[in-house]
Amino acid sequence: MAISLKENISIGFSDFWSRKIRSIVTITGIILGTMSIIVVLSLVNGINQQTLKWMMERGGLTKITVSRNWEYQSETDQKNYFTLKEFYLIRSLLPEAAYFTARISRNFETTYADNRFRSSVSGVLPDFKYIEDWDVSEGRFLSEFDLKNSTDVICIGSKVKEELFGNKQAVGQFITVADKRLRVIGVMEHRYMKGGNIGNENALSYMNRWCYIPLSTMINKIRNQDEIYSISLKSHTVEEASLLREKLEAIILNLRRNEPVFNIESAKEEAAQMEENAARFQLIFFLISAISLFVGGIVIMNIMLATIQERTREIGIRITVGARRRDIFLQFLVQTVVVTSLGGVLGIVFGLSILNLVGKYLDIQLIANGMMIGVALLVSAGVGLIFGISPAIKASKLNPVEALRYE
Amino acid sequence: MEKLILINNITKEYKMGKITVPALNGIDLEIAAGDFIAIMGPSGSGKSTLMHILGCLDTPTSGDYILNSEKVSAMKRNKLAAIRNREIGFVFQTFNLLPHLNIQKNVELPLMYSGLGKKQRIRQARKVLDEVGLSDRLRHKPSELSGGQRQRVAIARAIVNEPAIILADEPTGNLDTTSGNDILGIFSELHSQGHTIIIVTHDKAVADRADKVISLVDGLISNGNIS
Repeated sequence: MAISLKENISIGFSDFWSRKIRSIVTITGIILGTMSIIVVLSLVNGINQQTLKWMMERGGLTKITVSRNWEYQSETDQKNYFTLKEFYLIRSLLPEAAYFTARISRNFETTYADNRFRSSVSGVLPDFKYIEDWDVSEGRFLSEFDLKNSTDVICIGSKVKEELFGNKQAVGQFITVADKRLRVIGVMEHRYMKGGNIGNENALSYMNRWCYIPLSTMINKIRNQDEIYSISLKSHTVEEASLLREKLEAIILNLRRNEPVFNIESAKEEAAQMEENAARFQLIFFLISAISLFVGGIVIMNIMLATIQERTREIGIRITVGARRRDIFLQFLVQTVVVTSLGGVLGIVFGLSILNLVGKYLDIQLIANGMMIGVALLVSAGVGLIFGISPAIKASKLNPVEALRYE
Repeated sequence: MEKLILINNITKEYKMGKITVPALNGIDLEIAAGDFIAIMGPSGSGKSTLMHILGCLDTPTSGDYILNSEKVSAMKRNKLAAIRNREIGFVFQTFNLLPHLNIQKNVELPLMYSGLGKKQRIRQARKVLDEVGLSDRLRHKPSELSGGQRQRVAIARAIVNEPAIILADEPTGNLDTTSGNDILGIFSELHSQGHTIIIVTHDKAVADRADKVISLVDGLISNGNIS
């Protein structure tokens, strides 16, 4: 002899509908709470995805970069750059690396006829295009021949091309960089990250202002010195990236007598770190949202207590015709859970429907997933379960004789 | 005839702060299946208390109550709920219908707590509503019915589980004479079908319909079994 859960849920729903306005007021807190859970978790997720995407755009998870450690204060005479000889030594010690490049960058004014444009010119190896996953859209990229012979050639970014040549043909023309006439052999693909606008600027647009020349040309003909401040390489697979980074770090520390002169960063490890941070942020924001759900829960508990007071006579009637304590307890507990779950569902729906709006406002794509929806639903039902217990117990303890007399 | 209800020296006391107020002072009562009993008495005589104990809504302070060969005076709350559900149909002066449920749902209520399936519940509820002449009002809310009709719904609810006893507390108290007679007619009809009926009333006209009248004064029965 019992009343089924299904039955209780249907009673819960009919009670909900028969007191519409009160029900909606009751669940407002839950709606807002679950909405904020969905929005905030999607926001953190969106930022995370965006950064990952950026990493993918900048060469992917197999990429490893070596750069100067700006926090390192030299008390020794350890050089904070690599010589060309050191670079080739490092490269020869890591034959398992798929691609390798050094990079020497300098800002120069580039000129063509009367047009001038300030650009960042980098001396690199031909592998550079594989490391950055970036090829030319016209002409060709730097070759081993260029590197070996320090040829006077340059590949220019799309912005540089636009500023110097407009709509005219660039490949085959000569431009001047630091008093050197260089032949344009290629125009780099235009870089643009979809959904990656920061203000008016795209996250990748700075790359379009760059130019590339052979590392040897930079060292021998422009800088006349071989101070290399940046090295990039790539492993064949993502799995190999960590080991490759460790070996590289050991080699560099060995070259610099264990002084941390350089930062060695693996995109894969950065991504892992980032995901860890994102998870931590999600937890923190989730807990903040949970506070509003807690408040919502207290509101619901109070309203349920008032409801039970108001429905004392009904409870008395139910007990009179045979409801046991458990039946009454479950009726009101299930009703509270139904109410908060419904609030949860509405909160999820509203939350999901404003994601685009919030995203547009913050200029970040908000990305929800099934896990968040599940969490929001579970939490809203859980609030009902927790805060519904005390009113349900109160209802189940009513004395039928007194309850029937209640006016 | 076999005794349906056996009450032996029942007392009931209420504690109001430090004072103990006696409501029943040792009641002995025997009711056979098929009896039509009226319990009369002035207010404060203990007739409501007796009715609550007979209806298993309350338990006596001392004494035994045996209903249908089961000693209900010693039962726990959940067991009493089952007894009420199975053995007793209640009819109240104020009808006590659930206002937000339609009348079919109101009548289904006891069946729901006895765990009957939905289809059977609906069938049974419609059957008894037909018996009290309300089969065309199934979807109406109680507020859309007259007092007499509401009381008929309450009677339908009381008999839907085919209980051993129908307990009515001033069933005509809120009705005009015509509706009241109408309701009393239904009780007489139920009695003639073999139902056991106990009506608590202070209306002589109601008591006249009963086979026996039990008068209560100061928590004691003042007559034996006057007809």
